[in-house]
Amino acid sequence: MGTSIVGLGMTELGRVYGRSPRRLAADAVRLAAADAGLALGDLDGLLVSHGMGGSPGIELADTLGLRDLRLLALVNSYGATAGAMVSYAAMSVLNGSATTVACVFADAPLKPEQSAGSAYNRSSREWYGFGGMTAALGLRSVNSHYALAAQRHMARYGTTSEQLGAIAVATRAWASGNPLAQMREPITIEDHQASRWVSEPLHLLDCCLVSNGAIAVIVTSAGRARDLARPPVHLWGWGQGHPGHRKERGSDFGLATGAAASGAAAMKMAGITTADVDVCELYDCYTYTVLVTLEDYGFCAKGEGGAFAASGALGPGGSLPTNTGGGQLSAYYMWGMTPLSEAVIQARGDGGQRQAPSTDVILVSGNGGILDHHSTLVVSPHEKGA
Amino acid sequence: MDIGVLRRDGRTDPFFDGTAAGRLVVRRCEACDRWFAPDASGCPGCGEEELGWAEASGAATLVTWTILPKEPPAFLALVELAEGPWLHARLDGVERADLREGLALRAAFEHPDEGESYVLFRPWTERGSVR
Ligand SMILES: [Zn+2]
Repeated sequence: MGTSIVGLGMTELGRVYGRSPRRLAADAVRLAAADAGLALGDLDGLLVSHGMGGSPGIELADTLGLRDLRLLALVNSYGATAGAMVSYAAMSVLNGSATTVACVFADAPLKPEQSAGSAYNRSSREWYGFGGMTAALGLRSVNSHYALAAQRHMARYGTTSEQLGAIAVATRAWASGNPLAQMREPITIEDHQASRWVSEPLHLLDCCLVSNGAIAVIVTSAGRARDLARPPVHLWGWGQGHPGHRKERGSDFGLATGAAASGAAAMKMAGITTADVDVCELYDCYTYTVLVTLEDYGFCAKGEGGAFAASGALGPGGSLPTNTGGGQLSAYYMWGMTPLSEAVIQARGDGGQRQAPSTDVILVSGNGGILDHHSTLVVSPHEKGA
Repeated sequence: MDIGVLRRDGRTDPFFDGTAAGRLVVRRCEACDRWFAPDASGCPGCGEEELGWAEASGAATLVTWTILPKEPPAFLALVELAEGPWLHARLDGVERADLREGLALRAAFEHPDEGESYVLFRPWTERGSVR
């Protein structure tokens, strides 16, 4: 017996105001159930994940009027949560503790008349404690933490800003074919290089968007999936990697991530290697995150991610279509639900203008914290072993 | 540089007493002979939650860096203390061309008119500070 994703629900994404994260989450679950051809009452499991802008928690079950659930939990491994939730849902279905589980992420960090950057930023005149000192000295944003990671990779392996730019350009090229993408105007390496520094070596076009909205998926057994409304997206494998980087001598922070362990576990469970992967949907909070994830998954040797990206492999027409909907860099920032939702769309053949030529095996990643947490899913339109 | 005003938060007295006296005081687990950053919450070796404080030498090397587009640019870094732990830090007296893995650094202390003293890291050679 296998497990499958049978429903996908996506609210409006981006500068969506006037709905709380809880309302957005509820809307996404309703949309996912309708997409699957299920009634809300068919759900017997609900896993909830939230971002920075307020929390839909397990009270979401009440909001939706769900009764007699057999699985209900708030899950958090930051950007790795979406993949983790889907794996927990699949395991619950496999061991019989639930049959039909919705997994939802919602966030609304954007407020009207507020810049996207300020949604994840802090500033102050008085600062408290050691953390306050670090912030006062300038280290205030996630951008700077990822910049430290990216710079270490560049110094060690010779990775260049232009190579990171190749990821931004390829991702935008995919986004131009996605009606849901927030940024669809094609860009060039020159545009990338000319975009302002956010935290050197990261340009503005190395950084993801910020979005409001919610996305839900529904997981059930492959047997049940055959009778539902949409083509099932089968779950072949999953994995996680939490390397526990300690900030001390000997750490490989910035050089390698939990993707190595997570990807190996997921591909082993799926019975595949990187050579079998047709499409990658990778967590792209930054261009650099894609680059280091490709290395850690083994699509190229450690240190060669820059050259691999610059080869054109990732964009439309390339050998490894990656982030085919425009990812978090250009489409929408729904944490791990961004790559997962695009994987479902591609596996169903719903990609329209951006549909990848082959989607038999799709690798999906999630990344959380400052490269602290990683999850991987292997999905396919085909049942495993079929 | 104007960074605002630093205040103690009840858990940092030894650290800020140290910076006021020009000394870099960080966390240390005596039982495990292991040093930690001043914001460490415990020792993963033995589980001790009340880590001690100890004076580090102030010698460090550059691990990685980022530059904020300010005027003048702000050079932020991860530095590795000679004792092992990494600190998020701000560099002072550096230029872009100086930046490389392993660059030798030394703690330097700033004493603003208002608020707590704080630590920066400057390039350093055997003959003393480069700048
Ligand atoms: Zn200890």
